[in-house]
Amino acid sequence: MKFTITREQLQEGLAAVAAAIPAKTTLPVLANVLVEASKQGGGLRLSGTDLDIAVSTTVPAEVDADGAVTLPAKKLIDIARELPSGPVRVTAAGEARVSIESGRSKFKLLGLPREEFPSFPAVKFEKAWKAAAGVVHKLVGHVAFAASTEESRPILNGVLWELRPDRMRMVATNGHRLAKMDVPATGGSTADLIVPPKALEQIRRLYAGDAEIELAKSDNHIGFRAGGTLVYSRLIEGPYPNYEQVIPRENDKQATVDKAAMAAALRRMSVVASDQTHRIRLAFAGGNVKFSVQTPDLGEAQDELAVTYEGEPLEIGFNAMYLLEILKYMPTDEVRITFKAPERAATIEPVGWNDPASYMALVMPLRLVD
Amino acid sequence: MRRILLADADAFYVAVARAVDPDGAGKATLLIVGGSRESRGVVCSASYETRKFGVRSAMPIARALRLCPDATCVPVPFKECIRKSAEIRKALQQYTPAVEGASIDEWYLDLSGTEGIYHHEPLLATARRIREGIRAATGLTLSIGGGTNKLIAKMAVDRAKPSRGGEGILIIEPGSEQDFLRSSSLADIPLVGPKFQARLAARGLVTVADALRYDRESLGQWMSKREEQWLWNRIHGSDDADVVHRTMNRGISRDETFGKDLSHDTDIERELLRLVTRAAADMRGDGLTARTVAVRLRDWDFKTRSAQRTLPEPVVSDRVILRVAHDLLASLRKARRVPARLVGVRLSGLAPAERLSQLPLETSDVETERDRGLTRAIDRVREKFGRKSILPGGITE
Repeated sequence: MKFTITREQLQEGLAAVAAAIPAKTTLPVLANVLVEASKQGGGLRLSGTDLDIAVSTTVPAEVDADGAVTLPAKKLIDIARELPSGPVRVTAAGEARVSIESGRSKFKLLGLPREEFPSFPAVKFEKAWKAAAGVVHKLVGHVAFAASTEESRPILNGVLWELRPDRMRMVATNGHRLAKMDVPATGGSTADLIVPPKALEQIRRLYAGDAEIELAKSDNHIGFRAGGTLVYSRLIEGPYPNYEQVIPRENDKQATVDKAAMAAALRRMSVVASDQTHRIRLAFAGGNVKFSVQTPDLGEAQDELAVTYEGEPLEIGFNAMYLLEILKYMPTDEVRITFKAPERAATIEPVGWNDPASYMALVMPLRLVD
Repeated sequence: MRRILLADADAFYVAVARAVDPDGAGKATLLIVGGSRESRGVVCSASYETRKFGVRSAMPIARALRLCPDATCVPVPFKECIRKSAEIRKALQQYTPAVEGASIDEWYLDLSGTEGIYHHEPLLATARRIREGIRAATGLTLSIGGGTNKLIAKMAVDRAKPSRGGEGILIIEPGSEQDFLRSSSLADIPLVGPKFQARLAARGLVTVADALRYDRESLGQWMSKREEQWLWNRIHGSDDADVVHRTMNRGISRDETFGKDLSHDTDIERELLRLVTRAAADMRGDGLTARTVAVRLRDWDFKTRSAQRTLPEPVVSDRVILRVAHDLLASLRKARRVPARLVGVRLSGLAPAERLSQLPLETSDVETERDRGLTRAIDRVREKFGRKSILPGGITE
């Protein structure tokens, strides 16, 4: 193996795969980056994996002799960072050992044979779906936050990605609150994928908004491809809970509120809310919502906000953190909140969003009295 | 460089039993704590004088009395032990905020970063100060071991104990861990049990020094990769576990040694029902919920077996906990249906009950609102009319 690459290009490639490489691992080869040089491939392929996610990217390089080796990722990244700007020559120096030279700097780095590196999932891109990266970013950015981080129901740790001939939808929930977004799409077939949020984050990080992403699946993996960069991830095995049936259709009370003012009031109230439940009480009536919180052994607080409210007066309890989080992801200054009763799900939607996507979140209340 | 101490209360149960009953247990040199002379329970702890007769913890009281017939037997003063343990913990927290309870009578202390507070005195001097302070505050004596990690501290305290001929405190100075370990036997390493010891001895490995003569590859030939890695770290004194400050109770256990062995499933189930009712009520009394239910069964021949299940969500109600416990007991009985001498239940994965006020999107199939409502109603009746005012039909006399 022998190739020459600019320091910048080497750094760029390493930065792309670095996030997939685990900081701590029991399998030494996973701390390494797989470096493959190929004349035919027209450059250098760098790959890293933590076995859940794999990232692989190609960067231009002048290849004199084909070859492959795995090298300690952290050391290689540190070397690339510290080298002066200019061409870097990398030459195999025996099995699993390379010499790196740039200007007067010389390194010899020990690696592990490429055979030890795990092989990537066999995902075929022939019948791939296609989506604009910007659209995927929007879906991920508004939905993934709602996925569960607890281990009790692994299925809820994933984001449901529904592909339909006319639309794409993402849904995530932790069993207490849920976020859902639809975007129109054309062509493509039908599939339901449950994807770990970590993989979706990689897509947001690696693909520019104007790129077109190809998306394909095998039995239990999903692959993304755009430019020379591939991301593979394990899929979470379904079925996903029937979320449609928890989305309320009969909420007959609705409030339209200023998002920033509501969030500010919630933050003020949550200072004295319980650390465990973050319970606050909201009382909607006429043109007002009254916030109140009472925490034994700590104290109490009240606040008030003008809102547009239609319906019978209502008192309802919420986890302030859930409401604040949902408000954070709402794309408009005003939001509409709908209710049915103090123990039924409330929905939150943007008001006047000039976008082809449709977005909603829902949150279950907290019981006010035991 | 970390500075870790392990403080171990000397003959804790014996000391507390003596404090509770100064005229009876307090005057008995030969003292066994665990139950009455007629009890079928096991020795929880015994005075140093009794141990000279061969009496050990976990030994049936009847056997202990055959070894040491003149011993006085008293039941375990549980409430007082828990109170005293909390008292010691609180007193230890005066010296460092990082105190981890390893059991009812052992606490790890992390004194890293406190050098300045103790005017850079040696760790030995701080340990002496702590020992004196706890004796003055609680009347109980601690043995203290210290070193740069929990493993060394634990091995040091074992050697520091007066019952092992120690002086009450042993600090292994940084850099001298290897000499200390070399002077230990492999059996001194925590979790190296009799079976592992026998396997090691078969290869001529009895002391740590014996094992240190081999490289990892050689050790690896005689044991699994995992064991090899574990033992290698231990004999080289490496242990990076942190002293974890735990505030939450780790579990609520209730068990019962029967008056005579029980052979019929229905009889054991009735005892289980009694224990679950008690454990669940105590848990709710502490304002907690549980995720994991475990059942322990000790057969007539002292073979002890257990089974546990973790539920997808926290629960509080007798009905749900009992159903799980019942299934677990059934599986244990199915595997080995012989007379049983003890059954126990343990609730763990505890979390504050106020979290249950969050309503779920989907109605739960584990514990329904009705279960919880019923449980709240039962608790209110008991609060007003006493613990035994309302009980499951299966255990009313």
